[in-house]
Amino acid sequence: MILAQTVAAAGPALDAAPALAAAGDVSVGEQVVFWILAPVALGGAIGMVAARNAVHSALFLVTTMFALAVFYVLQAGPFIGMVQIIVYTGAIMMLFLFVLMLVGREASDSLIETLRGQRMAAIGLGIGFALLVASALTRGLGAVSAQGLEEANRGGNVEGIAAVLFTRYIFAFEVTSALLITAAVGAMVLAHVERPKGMKVSQKERSRARFAEGSYPGMKAGPGVFATSDSVATPALLPDGGESDRSISRVVPARGLTSAEAAPKHTER
Amino acid sequence: MAAEVLARSLAEPAVLAADVKLPDIDYLAIAPMLVLFGAACVGVLAAAFVPQRLRYRVQVSLVIGALLVALGLIVTVARAGRAVATAGGAIAIDGPALFLQGSVAVLGVVAVLLIAERSLERGGAFVSRASLTPGSAADRDQAEQPGATEVYPLVSFALAGMMLFVSANDLLTLFVALEVFSLPLYLLCGLARRRRLLSQESAVKYFLLGAFSSAFFLYGVALLYGFAGATGLGALRKAVQAGDGNTTLLFLGLAMLAVGLLFKVAAVPFHVWTPDVYQGAPTPITALMAACTKVAAFGALLRVFTVAFPVGAVDWRPVLVAIAIATMLVGAVLAVTQTDIKRLLAYSSIANAGYVLTGVLALSAAGVAGSLFYLVAYGFVVLAAFGVVTLVRDADGEATHLSRWAGLGRRSPLVAGVFTFLMMAFAGIPLTSGFTSKFAVFSAALGSGQVTLVVVGVLSSAVLAFPYLRVVVLMYLSEPAEDTPTVSLPGTLTAAALAIGVLATALLGVAPAPVLDLAAKAVQFVS
Repeated sequence: MILAQTVAAAGPALDAAPALAAAGDVSVGEQVVFWILAPVALGGAIGMVAARNAVHSALFLVTTMFALAVFYVLQAGPFIGMVQIIVYTGAIMMLFLFVLMLVGREASDSLIETLRGQRMAAIGLGIGFALLVASALTRGLGAVSAQGLEEANRGGNVEGIAAVLFTRYIFAFEVTSALLITAAVGAMVLAHVERPKGMKVSQKERSRARFAEGSYPGMKAGPGVFATSDSVATPALLPDGGESDRSISRVVPARGLTSAEAAPKHTER
Repeated sequence: MAAEVLARSLAEPAVLAADVKLPDIDYLAIAPMLVLFGAACVGVLAAAFVPQRLRYRVQVSLVIGALLVALGLIVTVARAGRAVATAGGAIAIDGPALFLQGSVAVLGVVAVLLIAERSLERGGAFVSRASLTPGSAADRDQAEQPGATEVYPLVSFALAGMMLFVSANDLLTLFVALEVFSLPLYLLCGLARRRRLLSQESAVKYFLLGAFSSAFFLYGVALLYGFAGATGLGALRKAVQAGDGNTTLLFLGLAMLAVGLLFKVAAVPFHVWTPDVYQGAPTPITALMAACTKVAAFGALLRVFTVAFPVGAVDWRPVLVAIAIATMLVGAVLAVTQTDIKRLLAYSSIANAGYVLTGVLALSAAGVAGSLFYLVAYGFVVLAAFGVVTLVRDADGEATHLSRWAGLGRRSPLVAGVFTFLMMAFAGIPLTSGFTSKFAVFSAALGSGQVTLVVVGVLSSAVLAFPYLRVVVLMYLSEPAEDTPTVSLPGTLTAAALAIGVLATALLGVAPAPVLDLAAKAVQFVS
């Protein structure tokens, strides 16, 4: 029933294109959409902060962004609404999710309050501030009717935005690139691990080194093999009967033993 | 139906290409900013393509060269005596803008000298690879490696953003400029070589609170746009003076805008980030923030409040007077209780923000000139003071706890003497720039009848003199302890920065007339 009403109410609004909403008056359809989506947007925002799991947080944020995008479209700003969905929800949030999944999504933030009662105070003050702003705006804007919407959208929404962006705000628009470069450099600086040359060893190099002259490719003999002594200072015997000094831990001579104790214990043959 | 709408909107005559014309841009007037932005972009490329061993030299010469070129251009523009609002009215290049841009450039050069110092510590004050977990084996291995050279393009971006911030004549441009200079600072705060966790904590704290204040600022811009139907400061002034708009939007918008700006100048009650961030950030970056950010933030504050909100139409004075008084008192009183030299300087910078606000609140040409002079004078002192802090070191890096400074005067009389001189300048003793600058703002405020502000200012200065003098007493009259840190011999760059800072402090104290005249000539805003 409500749906039918919505569609019926939306019909004339669409007919009054190009502006999706006529300036000044709010159609029933717009009101219905608003009252359905406003709690969704608000719930998403609260859920984003309250969720323990980072992925849930991100998805809550996506919900809020979608709801906001519908609002933008509804308020005769189809371009910004679409950009919100494509760029924010589509690109940035999905990238964010990818990063979360790659880095690991364990909730690792501790919820210990370092200042006692800070959270309650913050919630109380936050709600108070929100109420203050909301009541002031409600009182202040009750009698205000929007102006200039049709004029702004006269040549088309995208064209109108382009006209403002490339004339009055051209410098701000260009300077935003500095912001993006800074963000990219910052991500590199904070997250990129550059291994110095020589630290990266390939499988091939490792294999070469293992069979190179002077190294011992096979398993190394453990201490005490064929030994008459069970001291860790007893070296293992090599196939030719010689003693392998590599089979003794390097720590042994350094333990503060007397030289007699630290000297390799010979195995009787 | 949707397809029908689409077809119709495609058939709509688009805005004619002739309607959309690029506004006239006075390229000479904005050239200083363009040079710095360009240098920053070249610096980013250099970080990618220049071989590792040359990077440091290339980057440092690039930043300093760009700053000097920008300074030359600013002087050229100022000599030509132009005062224009260019790029569609988004940027105003006028007296205050040029003066403040020049100050940012000069103080920026000195700060870059401190940032580029590599002889005090192997590899400089910045970590080599910030991505490594602090305290891990890989982190210990990088202790001796040269610091990251991405620092220099970031500093260029920050300084360019500050130059734009003081000349933005449009709330949206102002916001973009705010972000352009804040973002690099958030990053730079987290790149200290020593005490990395503290440094990263300060970066996160600054970033979160800064983002929060930016949101306030932006909400304020939106409400003011709702009030005036425009974001330009000139249009805003007209709407405010006409007085027939929606005053709820005006007051709410103005309040939120003020929160964003006062956060950046670190005025009470938006100051709580300052001590932690100043303490955790690498000391050269702290110096940059204390000197240049303060100049930029006050420049924007002056412009917004004088140009867009004339007091006759909307009286914001009582609120700002209360904030200025709170700022001076809280800064001074909390400075007394500090035991860490960097935190002490942070609280002193909060109190100094209150003194500059005094000049702003004079609402006269003398007040603007006094504030401009104060910002330059304070910038030099604070740069030199943090320069000295980088010199007092032990095996763990800088020894910032005050107890470690005991007896420093006997071990290294020269550095202690320099620091004593700087402390005297902070305290506002005659023959230092601190006295002349305080005199300039207080006399301007007195001239406008702001007696309360001046009384509080003088009283808080007296309180603030105590922690400064306590450091001096500690350095000279205490016995040096066994673990009194050594004072490193400053490298060429730090020595140059210290010399410039101390000379400027002395000159502005003894012969302030040229700079005072310059500031007095540069008080006319255009919009």
